[in-house]
Amino acid sequence: MTQVRLNSVRKQFGNFVAIENLDLDICSGELVALLGPSGCGKTTTLRMISGLERPSNGAILFDGKDVSEQAVQDRNVGMVFQRFALFPHMTVEKNVAFGPSVRGESKAEIARRLDEILEVVQLTQFRTRFPAQLSGGQMQRVAVARTLITKPSILMMDEPLANLDTKLRVEMRRFIRDLQQQFGITTIFVTHDQVEAMELADRVAVIFDGQLAQYDTPERIYRYPRSLDVADFMGATNIYSGKLLSRNRVRTALGDIDCPHQNDRSAGDAVQVLLRAEALDMNIGPFKSAGSGLRGRIMARDFFGASVTYRVACNEQEIDVTENARRMLDVGDDVQLEIAPEQVWLLSG
Amino acid sequence: MTARERRTRILQMLQLIPILSVLVILFGGALVMALLQSLGFAPWFGINTFPDFSYFGSLWGSQTFWVSLWLTLYYATVSTLLALVFGTMLALALIKAFPGKWLYKYLYKLPLMIPYTVGIALAVIMLSSGGVLSRIVAFAGLIDDPGQFPQILKTHYGWGIIAVYVWKQTPFITLAVYAVLLGIGRETEEAAAILGARRGAIFFRVTLPQILPGIVSSTLICFAFNVGAFEAPFILGGGFPDTLPVVAWRYFNDADYTLQLQGMATVVSIGIVAGVILFAYLWVYRRYERRMGRH
Ligand SMILES: Nc1ncnc2c1ncn2[C@@H]1O[C@H](COP(=O)(O)OP(=O)(O)OP(=O)(O)O)[C@@H](O)[C@H]1O
Ligand SMILES: [Mg+2]
Repeated sequence: MTQVRLNSVRKQFGNFVAIENLDLDICSGELVALLGPSGCGKTTTLRMISGLERPSNGAILFDGKDVSEQAVQDRNVGMVFQRFALFPHMTVEKNVAFGPSVRGESKAEIARRLDEILEVVQLTQFRTRFPAQLSGGQMQRVAVARTLITKPSILMMDEPLANLDTKLRVEMRRFIRDLQQQFGITTIFVTHDQVEAMELADRVAVIFDGQLAQYDTPERIYRYPRSLDVADFMGATNIYSGKLLSRNRVRTALGDIDCPHQNDRSAGDAVQVLLRAEALDMNIGPFKSAGSGLRGRIMARDFFGASVTYRVACNEQEIDVTENARRMLDVGDDVQLEIAPEQVWLLSG
Repeated sequence: MTARERRTRILQMLQLIPILSVLVILFGGALVMALLQSLGFAPWFGINTFPDFSYFGSLWGSQTFWVSLWLTLYYATVSTLLALVFGTMLALALIKAFPGKWLYKYLYKLPLMIPYTVGIALAVIMLSSGGVLSRIVAFAGLIDDPGQFPQILKTHYGWGIIAVYVWKQTPFITLAVYAVLLGIGRETEEAAAILGARRGAIFFRVTLPQILPGIVSSTLICFAFNVGAFEAPFILGGGFPDTLPVVAWRYFNDADYTLQLQGMATVVSIGIVAGVILFAYLWVYRRYERRMGRH
């Protein structure tokens, strides 16, 4: 149980700035996701927290104590590597027992903890196998077990699920979440999959080009992104530029839309209007009077099983609408779109 | 077997024919001839007492043979071990980033491209009494006269021989180990460090087992060469009793050509000793590999 703080941390490789002034506060026992596109500095951040890499500037604090001078071995952190980094010449048991063994634990204690942790990750029957004889999911569990057995105060995972197939990924997500809650370890994991980040994390840190773009709960990041980049990365498609008519009505190319009351904006301000695809209601008539809702026609339909996404043409604009697949509308149908004002989110610009 | 499988099988055999014929005719034939001669079969010298074990008998019965064998193995083992330690340390250093690394990566390979004889000549120039090193030491005032410089060459300690072998073979082992190190990457070492392992534990428990295949194959080659090599002990060695390859050379060069057969017995002895040691080495390693679950 350790609280982690990054104080304007910066990392430079030669002339290349990988991390620029990163401030991050992670509470004790919290599960935080570092989310961002490839090359944005996620792995570098983890490596600095673990001590494998030294920040060029700034400080990293564990429970308020600067750990800059502390060697990797003394930080008591755990890291599950992107490619697992299992010891290929050791069996599952030897891999898992490595940490306690180099820390000089007694044989009996190691054996006891080994049995316990292998049970937790359900690898008891594979204990004498070598990594080359395991599946991806099994290797990943070995990597997790090898880390957990050392009782790290901070657990870091670098894209732990990237190498797994969809079904296994769902299983492992649940498994990690359960473990984390069971042990209550401060956990930081890296991903470039926003769905994964939202499902697992208490808070998500979105990083672009070595800079923290937003750090918030999954729900807030999804509903109230602070910038167009974040909105875009979280999968938002319906973004339109507009102009405020008043503090709670905005004019866009789609039509005029009611929005939540804007305290720090005033009529005439240019804004970007974010309409989440699943927040739109689609009526198929009889249509209400003009002035409420936007009239449009379905142009395309993508079926995802549980949900359907329609592409609707609306005042010569296109807008995506996602709804439950309980009903199916057809291409060419006329529809009327409505959105509750509190579901509308405005960005500056 | 289908017709297609048969065709690929035949093609494979055709591809193997050139190398097989070289191995069987030249190498295998020579081996058989050497063995026959050492057992007294040399009708072209007018000698044919086959099978005659007296050549091996007189060789193995003499005290000096065993001294020669000891010297041969001693030079070979010590220089292989030293080259292994230096080569591994160099390879470990080279995978880390440091300023001027490109220059080191180029420089360390130089001895590989310089022939042994040149290396031996360099050793004579540098290490002999009256050589450059002795003059430098004398100039520095550590000794009064270059002649007082301790004898490095032409002793049975074989420092000169060992120096040349180590100088030549360190880069070879570095090359082999470096390639393996690049292949395994840094990640397992980093994982070990995070799990709490210090430098020693990381090397002996994580790195070494993974580079062992490279170490075994490169030391095998070096050791086999060192056992059979002739120039360095001939020029830099301590004289009688010589190492076995030098002994064999003296027999072959003797005016009395019947001693050729004695020389053949020496060569076959070297072959047997080297073969036994190398197979024992490989056998131990294979057992280790199997225990590790590899094959
Ligand atoms: N040792 C290094 N030397 C030079 N540049 C580096 C080094 N390590 C990382 N970088 C650079 O720093 C940037 C961030 O790298 P990092 O590995 O942290 O990305 P990432 O967010 O983990 O990406 P991915 O999702 O692809 O794993 C990249 O542009 C990378 O090229
Ligand atoms: Mg990465």
